[in-house]
Amino acid sequence: MQTLIRTEAVSLTGLTKTFSTPRTKVQAVKGIDLQIPTGQIVAFLGPNGAGKTTTIDMILGLTQPTAGAAKILGLDPPQAVSSGRVSAVLQTGGLLRDMTVKETVTVIASMHGKPDRINEVMERTGLTRIAKRRVGKCSGGEQQRIKFALALLPDPDVLILDEPTAGMDVMARREFWSTMRSEATQGRTVIFATHYLEEAQNFAERTILMSQGKIVADGATAELRQLISGRTLSASFPSEDQGEQAATFDQSVQITERNGSRFAFQCQNSDRFAAALLGEYQAYDLEISSPSLEDAFIQLTKDAS
Amino acid sequence: MMTTYIRVEFTRHFRDGYNLIFALLLPAAMYILFGNIPSYTALDLGAGNVKFYLMISMAAYGAAVSTVAIAGTVATETMQGWGRQIALTKMPPAVFVGSKMIVAATVAGISAAIVFTLGAATGAQVNEPWIWGASYLIVLLGAMIFACYGIGVGMVFKSESALGLASGLMVFFAFFGNVFMPLEGGMLDAARFTPMFGYVALARYPLLKDMPAGVEMAPDPLWMPTANLVAWAIIFALFAVVATRKAKARQ
Repeated sequence: MQTLIRTEAVSLTGLTKTFSTPRTKVQAVKGIDLQIPTGQIVAFLGPNGAGKTTTIDMILGLTQPTAGAAKILGLDPPQAVSSGRVSAVLQTGGLLRDMTVKETVTVIASMHGKPDRINEVMERTGLTRIAKRRVGKCSGGEQQRIKFALALLPDPDVLILDEPTAGMDVMARREFWSTMRSEATQGRTVIFATHYLEEAQNFAERTILMSQGKIVADGATAELRQLISGRTLSASFPSEDQGEQAATFDQSVQITERNGSRFAFQCQNSDRFAAALLGEYQAYDLEISSPSLEDAFIQLTKDAS
Repeated sequence: MMTTYIRVEFTRHFRDGYNLIFALLLPAAMYILFGNIPSYTALDLGAGNVKFYLMISMAAYGAAVSTVAIAGTVATETMQGWGRQIALTKMPPAVFVGSKMIVAATVAGISAAIVFTLGAATGAQVNEPWIWGASYLIVLLGAMIFACYGIGVGMVFKSESALGLASGLMVFFAFFGNVFMPLEGGMLDAARFTPMFGYVALARYPLLKDMPAGVEMAPDPLWMPTANLVAWAIIFALFAVVATRKAKARQ
């Protein structure tokens, strides 16, 4: 019975998008299957060109999938959008420079049929102070806050953010996420695309890694970090030969990076390997680090390609 | 939702309107300049005088240019992501384009009204009062075909400076469309195929309609400017559709 009542916030089946140019066909999204339950906060993580934006565009009905389907709360994207149950902060543009902040919010609110929410949303996103300023004179962080306010206007159940902090400095990013945390997490499903691993780590309970149009990993953000066991060890050697010799220490040792006579290794038993490096292989300047999500990410996307 | 949008559009255009200076003040200034050269402007022409003829010309130019400038913003704003922002609301894209057309028609109407008012104040005359209204209406309605032209150019070049180019080209169309000064001979024959010719000739038709054929400045038979206007309306509409499709496919 429970399965009948539960509706997925977002459900993608075999979602595919191919862009055709006269000469070539580019498959931007290669058949994605994905279920996101209501209330979850999910990060789409991947490098530029991974297909994140195309996927989001299809979820929002801005782009028609070549094959497969996207459903939001059981509805087709255009229905979900026009009923105000889903909204989004889009990555590029989306604002007119010569409108004031207040005008922008007012216009979009009227298009949603929600003029009563103008003041509340502006207050909560900290725009009241700059209401009369032209959008073109607002900083990148302020413009992003305006777009965030526009996304909050319809009071959506599902909120999608496509690289909401792209081009912001560290302070602005921190400020954005703190506003985001207080405003967008009250029972809303939040899906955001990012290439800042830190943001996925700090904010998302679930992370979906995308690379070259495919999902390469999907799991709890914490689990994802454990995907790569072991530690990374970097050390310098008196000669390159000694570095290569060290790589034969045991089966699990792999060279992940080399730069002259400085090597980075990955291995299972880091303690024993570290002792051997310093003793047997005459290594110096030893560094031992646990893998970040970034390492996991590089590893996984390498495997996928 | 449409009224709020239209209201904000007006505020925007009137706040920093480089385009509006061209749309509203330039035609008026040109009328004052050319419409008041004493040597010939008081002469009779058709059912009125030369001033009336020049008044229609300048009003038509102004209305067409303002339509191009404002309709073109449909394209540039769509390409700047505003179209996507709107696509995430309830409002259908047709209402967006519709709102812009209302704004464009209003500004074109104001532009033409300024020239007509100046004309009335400085001695533009016509025997039959209905010609005032008829000319004004033709100027206004005919200008709408240039909306498609503006949208098309905007979609092809995607930038605001492209709209400057589009408006600039209108000066060229106006010269070769017999708008600014009467053309003769081969030039006039070629002009009959240019986009502004049919439009301005139709707007002048009520004034010139009773002139016998063969007299200098006598109008072409009615079907000629009509055919020109209809043909260019179709060409511009197709251009706008094709340019929009191409622009969206590349997005």
